[in-house]
Amino acid sequence: MKEWLYKCIVQRLVVVISSIESSEVLERWQFDIECDKTAKDDNGPREKSQKAIQDEIRSVIRQITATVTFLPLLESACAFDLLIYTDKDLAVPEKWEESGPQFIANSEEVRLRSFTTTIHKVNTSVAYKKDSVP
Amino acid sequence: MEDLENNTTVFSTLRSLNNFISQRMEGVSGLATPVSSQSSLQMQYQQRMQLEEQAGQIHSKSQLLQVEREKMQMELSHKRARIELEKAANTNARNYEREADRNQELLTRIKQYQERETEAENKLKEQMEMNKSYKKSMETMSKKMQEKDSKLAEANETITVLKGKISELQWNIMNQEMQMTSQDSQKQELMEQLDVEKKKWQEASQQIQTLQASQSLLTEYEQKIKDLEQKLSQQEHDALIVKNMKTELARFPKMERELRQLREENAYFREMKENNGLLKEEVEGLQRKLERYEKVQAQLVTMELENEKLLGKLQSWEKLDQSTGLNIRTPDDLSRQIVALQQRELALKEQNSTFMNSARMLEKARQQLQEEILSVQSQLLDEKKKREHQEALVRRLQKRVVLLTKERDGMRAILESYDSELTPAEHSPQLSRRMREAEDMVQKLHAHNTELEAQLSQALEEVGNHKQRAEMLEVEMKVLKSQQCTAEQSTVITKEEVDTLRLKIEELEAERSRLSEENTSLEMKLEKFTLQGDYDPSRTKVLHFSMNPMSLAKQQRKEEQQQLQEECERLRELVRVLQGGGSISGNLEGVGGFQSPQEVAELKKQVESAELKNQRLKEVFQTKIQEFRKVCYTLTGYQIDITTENQYRLSSIYAEHQGDCLLFKASSSSGGKMQLLETEFSRTIRELIELHLLRQDSIPAFLSALTLDLFSRQTIA
Repeated sequence: MKEWLYKCIVQRLVVVISSIESSEVLERWQFDIECDKTAKDDNGPREKSQKAIQDEIRSVIRQITATVTFLPLLESACAFDLLIYTDKDLAVPEKWEESGPQFIANSEEVRLRSFTTTIHKVNTSVAYKKDSVP
Repeated sequence: MEDLENNTTVFSTLRSLNNFISQRMEGVSGLATPVSSQSSLQMQYQQRMQLEEQAGQIHSKSQLLQVEREKMQMELSHKRARIELEKAANTNARNYEREADRNQELLTRIKQYQERETEAENKLKEQMEMNKSYKKSMETMSKKMQEKDSKLAEANETITVLKGKISELQWNIMNQEMQMTSQDSQKQELMEQLDVEKKKWQEASQQIQTLQASQSLLTEYEQKIKDLEQKLSQQEHDALIVKNMKTELARFPKMERELRQLREENAYFREMKENNGLLKEEVEGLQRKLERYEKVQAQLVTMELENEKLLGKLQSWEKLDQSTGLNIRTPDDLSRQIVALQQRELALKEQNSTFMNSARMLEKARQQLQEEILSVQSQLLDEKKKREHQEALVRRLQKRVVLLTKERDGMRAILESYDSELTPAEHSPQLSRRMREAEDMVQKLHAHNTELEAQLSQALEEVGNHKQRAEMLEVEMKVLKSQQCTAEQSTVITKEEVDTLRLKIEELEAERSRLSEENTSLEMKLEKFTLQGDYDPSRTKVLHFSMNPMSLAKQQRKEEQQQLQEECERLRELVRVLQGGGSISGNLEGVGGFQSPQEVAELKKQVESAELKNQRLKEVFQTKIQEFRKVCYTLTGYQIDITTENQYRLSSIYAEHQGDCLLFKASSSSGGKMQLLETEFSRTIRELIELHLLRQDSIPAFLSALTLDLFSRQTIA
């Protein structure tokens, strides 16, 4: 994973939460990664301090925890799955396999904060299944 | 006391001695027998002698004692006297001391008195002095007193004056009192008048009240009148209204009829309205259909036209191959041709662009060259100017040289003249003056010259600059003219191009705006889709772990499900088996629910062990009971069987026949009381029954009698 990030192959990281019984996707956490491909070994270290990056990450995590207010309750037993959107020409490693995008059919999307390390920019968004009973 | 004790001992000893003596005397007298007269007389004489010695001793002792007593008494008296003397001495000493003290006290008192005397004298003196002072003061005081007396006298005079005044004042007061009394009397008169006036006022107020009451009554009446007038007017109004109402009432039935009619019409109109509405909707629907059909028709027509056009186009396209002769049969060929044409166009455009680039480069080179030319020309001009400068300098210098030579010649001439003049006459001061003047003139001229030359040079420089600028401008003019010439040639052509370009620009801008809108909308869609999780399959692919938690959870769930199903089926079989099977099922069903096999095995083991125990107990009881019964049979001679619930059958060991038995029934449940039932055998032994049961009321006796009887019968028989 670290390698893939370093080579700017990863485009998106998705955490899918679905119910075990019905295999239906209930929540979809999507992290878009925009990679600055020019930043390889040529340039020196970028100007952004680690503290600033950590502050941004902290605010994102806080926002994620705050989403509990509007996300619908998950009553049934659930499990999660991690999807990685990569370049098409990447060699699939051993323990990994291709899968579908696991969309939510009738979804509400909420865009959350993004943070950037001047080499990667990560946009966060969460999509959840609209409740049938409003 | 020792004396006394000594005395007592003396007396006691005296007494004992006397007693002894008396005893001895008695003894002696008793012994006055002639038998032992001599010895006894001697003895007595010795005894008497002894006794007398003793008496003498005693006497002497007593004298001693008396002397001692006296001595003691003397000593005592001495002591007493001494004591008394001492006492007296003490008292004297004390008296003396007292006297001494008194003396001292008196002395001290005397001193004190002396001191007091001195003090008194001092005080006297002081007091004398004070007296004197007091006397002085007294004198002063007496003087003062005199003054005061004088003052007093004056005061008395004033007092008298004042008294006179007082008397006058008193007289005044009297007068005033008189006036007061008169005024009081006047006041009383006035008060009386006031009372009278008050009464009048009260009467007046009463009258006013009555008047007010009457006025209020008046107002009330007036108000009543007004009300009544208003009522009257209202009633007149009402009368008018009533009349109008009557006329209107007359119209009422007509109105009712009209109302009914209107209501009917209303209902009818409402129905009609609904129908109308429905009809309108139908009409609208039909109109819309009509419109649609017309549109469809128009579209049909247009479509047909288009169709014809397209067919014509197709035919034209199909004819193309015949017209152009390029082997075009299908649109693919066309497209290929177009592609080839486009490629050619692209190539040509590239060539064009390259040519344009080269043209631009050439132009740039030309411009650079022109600029170089300009610079070179400017340099030329500079050089020219410099040359002119130099030529001017040269001319100036030549002029200066000429002037200087002239000056020199002049000076030489002057000097020669001076030299020639000097020899004849001595006009040196004048000459020197003139020389100085001349020199000054020369210097002035020099300065003037230099100034003029400087001005000249400046002017020449300016002129040179102007010339340079003019030439530069001429050169630029030439360049611009040349450019203009080239531009004029192209302007004619470019106007058309400009128009076409403007049109193109407008079209392109419109297209651009449209495309930008499309772009924004597409971006929105893209955004939405990316949020939803869309991706570009050509560029990205989605990976996930094979062993991801979702699949693991699903697998677990499947396994659980399978397990549960298997268990379910197993349990169902068990249930079936157990329901079909033995008594254990009841317990298991009663337990209810699924128990693990271990528990079941344990329970089964327990059950088996319990059953074994039961069986063993049964066997043991069986054996024991049989033993007991046999023992009873052998001991009592009767075999007791239980036929039915409370009935016991006894068969004797000595019974003659097999079936001979006695039946007993237990009347009470515990078996305390038994009754004999009738059997064939019992009929044979009625006597025994009568004897033992009926009369003696004892079953054991009866039974034992019966055994004896049977035994006897057996043995005999």
